[in-house]
Amino acid sequence: MMTPTTEAELAQMVADATGPITVQGGGTRGLPSDGLLLSTTGLSGIELYEPGALTVVVKAGTPVAEIETELAKENQRLAFEPVDFRGLIGSDGIPTIGGILATNNAGPRRLQVGAARDFALGVRYVDGMGQTVSNGGRVMKNVTGYDLVKLMAGSWGTLGVMSQLSLKVLPNPETEATLTLHGLAHTQAVAAMAEAMGSSFDVSGAAHADIDGTPLTAIRVEGFAKSVTYRITELTERLRHFGAEMSVAENSAALWSDLRHVKGFHGTDGDVWRVSVKPSDGPALIAAAGARGAQMDWAGGLVWLRMAPGTDLRARMGDIAGHATLIRGTGFARFHPEDCGNALLTTGLRHRFDPKGLFNPVLAAA
Amino acid sequence: MAKITELPLNEDGIATVLGVLKQQFGDRFQTGQSIREQHGHTTTWLTNQSPDGVVFARSKDEVTAIVNICATHKVPVIPYGTGTSLEGHVNAPAGGISVDVSQMNQILEVFSDDLSCIVQPGVTREQLNTYLRDQGLFFPIDPGANASLGGMTATNASGTNAVRYGTMKDNVLAVEAVMANGETIRTAQRAKKSSAGYDLTRLMVGSEGTLGLITQITLRLQGIPEAISSARCTFPTVDAACQTVMQVIQYGIPVARIELLDAVQVKACNAYSKMDMPEEPLLLLEFHGSDASVLEQAEMFGAIAEEHGGAGYTSTTSTEERNKLWQARHDAYWATLQLRPGAVGISTDVCVPISRLADCVSAAQAKLKDEGFISPIVGHVGDGNFHCLLLIDDKNPDEMERAGQFVSWLNELAISMDGTCTGEHGIGQGKMPYLSKELGQATVDVMGAIKMALDPDGIMNPGKVVAV
Repeated sequence: MMTPTTEAELAQMVADATGPITVQGGGTRGLPSDGLLLSTTGLSGIELYEPGALTVVVKAGTPVAEIETELAKENQRLAFEPVDFRGLIGSDGIPTIGGILATNNAGPRRLQVGAARDFALGVRYVDGMGQTVSNGGRVMKNVTGYDLVKLMAGSWGTLGVMSQLSLKVLPNPETEATLTLHGLAHTQAVAAMAEAMGSSFDVSGAAHADIDGTPLTAIRVEGFAKSVTYRITELTERLRHFGAEMSVAENSAALWSDLRHVKGFHGTDGDVWRVSVKPSDGPALIAAAGARGAQMDWAGGLVWLRMAPGTDLRARMGDIAGHATLIRGTGFARFHPEDCGNALLTTGLRHRFDPKGLFNPVLAAA
Repeated sequence: MAKITELPLNEDGIATVLGVLKQQFGDRFQTGQSIREQHGHTTTWLTNQSPDGVVFARSKDEVTAIVNICATHKVPVIPYGTGTSLEGHVNAPAGGISVDVSQMNQILEVFSDDLSCIVQPGVTREQLNTYLRDQGLFFPIDPGANASLGGMTATNASGTNAVRYGTMKDNVLAVEAVMANGETIRTAQRAKKSSAGYDLTRLMVGSEGTLGLITQITLRLQGIPEAISSARCTFPTVDAACQTVMQVIQYGIPVARIELLDAVQVKACNAYSKMDMPEEPLLLLEFHGSDASVLEQAEMFGAIAEEHGGAGYTSTTSTEERNKLWQARHDAYWATLQLRPGAVGISTDVCVPISRLADCVSAAQAKLKDEGFISPIVGHVGDGNFHCLLLIDDKNPDEMERAGQFVSWLNELAISMDGTCTGEHGIGQGKMPYLSKELGQATVDVMGAIKMALDPDGIMNPGKVVAV
């Protein structure tokens, strides 16, 4: 395994490479590998943290937990709530911030604030020729040419190896609270979540899962205490017509931690699929999937499915448009196939970034 | 002095394309001088470079036909929405065809449950918001001008709301575009992206028409807030105002807008909008939320402002008073022009980390004073972005030269502070020289490689963003 400790060393290793390289952060996603393993964990540490400017600059291999600890000292956070996949997949390793951005990781708050990509202000990476490229910086917005930062986000290491990134961070809210509706069917749950999202109460989480055998719809608000209380009261009134039993969650943070990391599927059997659809299609997808278990997040726009091993979910999706990603299990392409026009552009871009085809060839082909 | 790009003309190709388009589009293809000039750059000091013809497209199929004709003869295709961009984005340095999409102005579908909608590129933001009002929804990005959503997408527009709602990049879910080879792509479905495919949506957003012509946009919508309040407060120095902004943001007060006007700007607004605000640095704010929360937010702001020497703090939930205040802000450009009748305005657009904002604004003010320029400053300070509007006699070459030097100096200062020369206006032609200074040649080469991969013949809005 190659573990460079400086960007220059990383660039040299890539420049010298003659065969496939599997680029990896903490290796917590259980991805297939081919050729030499290149780990970014040697590029670790926070380089600059300016709480007043809401920005942090970190090396790509820095553990997410280390960053979250530092931010917490200043009462700030990574607002996109990165998901830790270890419990779900049963993998080891320590999640790194580079891996989070490369996979465009995002938890329940995505529907309010966006994903890792939306918090990435700048990136430095080494391309397939071993050249170091830098784009973006520490400013909140810029319009300087093509957005390479967003292009690197979600590219799964197939365009380059990130060495450094700068991120926007946000203050922690004073408090949070979650309104729960009990026993709603999937379609009703999505209707309730849509109504909450369309309100002016600034909902920061809307999910639906079976908790201890009962369907539970959870709607989270965050902010200053008085405003949170007011919004929970108003939402309760607003959603009363669904006829469900309603309550305020006893431990909102713990509930959302379970939902975020899909705790309900930990230690279970079967394949796990993560499907993004338009929110109103969530219930239809669950009905079509014939899954052993289902959890909806993002107001229905993200569906976690636990399926009998070897079931081809994509074949069951019919007319439902979306991306189905195989998170746990084998036998199918990990990623949803792109339509052919986009696939051509994707290939064209990859060839420009990595003409020798070094990086993550298994993923690039998936 | 800002440079416009000059490129060789493919005269034979252009002549052929003019003939073909005339035949296919009849009256919807125009080559009169005045209409061509209107479709070149008209908003700032950059020279107008008119296209050879303007075609008013009505559908994606027509756009495809136009692109195919132009591609066959290697003639430039320049997308045109409302022409309100500031850096020469719609100029035709190599001639070619301006594709005016103003007749593609249908709002195709609104998905109120999913908080999204699909529009054609010629729909303007005011048209969309008027349409959405009855459904309790709105589209938050507001660059000032009543721009087309296609143009706003292509230039990654932002504006006073960005501190809360982000820029176009945060609010475009998908685009449909006709690429240089005539193929149509849809960058995403309405589902959120989560596959290995690259983020083509955000590659197209802000690409300034240099990669493809946008024919449809899927936008994220917001619920209209239950209540809106606004506040204003005067500060003894720009620094005190900036310190207040930093603390407000760190405190997590969810401001929707937070704008700085320097003393010169306040004076101009007072005169133009018949107001009597103290002629000192001023912060204008707006809060969106519930009835209770907007008042609470305004009060918390007031307390922080007071700690930093803020004076004359007032807040209101009255729509009338709020509109008056924000109208004055929106009219800042016109108010400024009155400070020196006959002069042209030259706007800078630097953006720096918020922690450097006070330093950058103060340095700009001092330099403007030394140079004897009349130039108010307004800033979207929640994002670290501010504009100096230099009032220049464009008939005076010396003044033009010195204004150009000031713009260069400020851009370089911002870059030295880890900032950028452009927070929202874009590169276009006017800022191409700064791109490599800011990003380094290796990064500009990558952008050139992307351009080459997607548009090998360089027909999509050539001479903008990156030279290839």
